[in-house]
Amino acid sequence: MPSGSLAPAMATRDELSEFLASVERRAYKQALFAVRDSDAALDIVQDAMIKLSQSYGERPSAEFPLLFTRILQNVIHDHFRRQKVRSTWVTLFSALTPAGDDDADPLETLEALAGSSDAEGADDKVERAQVIAIIEEEVGRLPARQREAFLMRYWEEMDVAETAAAMGCSEGSVKTHCSRATHALAKALRARGITL
Amino acid sequence: MNENEFGYRIRQALDEGLDQLDYRTTYRLQQARQAAVARLPAAGGVPALAPAWQTAGGPPVEREPIGWLRGLGLVVPIVALAIGFVGIYDYQESRRIAELADMDFAVLMDDVPLETYADKGFGALLQNPSDEQ
Repeated sequence: MPSGSLAPAMATRDELSEFLASVERRAYKQALFAVRDSDAALDIVQDAMIKLSQSYGERPSAEFPLLFTRILQNVIHDHFRRQKVRSTWVTLFSALTPAGDDDADPLETLEALAGSSDAEGADDKVERAQVIAIIEEEVGRLPARQREAFLMRYWEEMDVAETAAAMGCSEGSVKTHCSRATHALAKALRARGITL
Repeated sequence: MNENEFGYRIRQALDEGLDQLDYRTTYRLQQARQAAVARLPAAGGVPALAPAWQTAGGPPVEREPIGWLRGLGLVVPIVALAIGFVGIYDYQESRRIAELADMDFAVLMDDVPLETYADKGFGALLQNPSDEQ
């Protein structure tokens, strides 16, 4: 513990790089679950990474997980806010744009994820990949707040208090969201013939 | 199966899904990470120089922080400009004094042409010599 200063040492480039490398794939998937667009999800992750680096780079690396989770959620919410504004204008000029964009979203996600396993030859691997794709699809279909709470608690292994802090809600709300997400997900997977 | 166990199994499946990301996605994530690391502020609190915001696919540019050099880059031109002004002023003063001295010397040696005394400017100069010194 430093004797002369109360401030902990700021993270080094290597620590930041290591941290980002450890969370980037999960962050991408979380963004993808939310926005259902690969390019938008990648931009969201990059935006969150840069915000962490520029605004909180001087913080010790131990604070990165919680900070990054919060930043990522904020960037996703900002994306939806911008999209809402954009969609207002798109609606005004809807006659000029091709229809059907909304219909493709869930299947696009499923196909994209399933398509990545084409190279694997073994049947069981393909089957497993399909199961994973279905699970991801159903996770993506959860209501946003339920999904956020569920993923933070069970994928990122954050405790209830950390999840509540990251989501800006009470611990009771986190428990409720998680419980509802679990039941909804289990029901949806059962309906598709998947038992865990 | 309780909630924790269910969550654990979902986590396993999601983790497996991470390994199935295609090369394009992992490459762009790597690029994004490098761009973010390049923007990490330097230890002294001065942000590292970094390229403007780019899309996830854009090439990151690593640049080293040069805080003191940037400060020096601002001070040096200002000092050079000040020295230049002082030099020009000094040169003009010396030249003016030399011209007046030549004129005084010419008057004292009686080398000034007669027409010069008829010039109004020369009369004014003789009446207010202190203004010119």
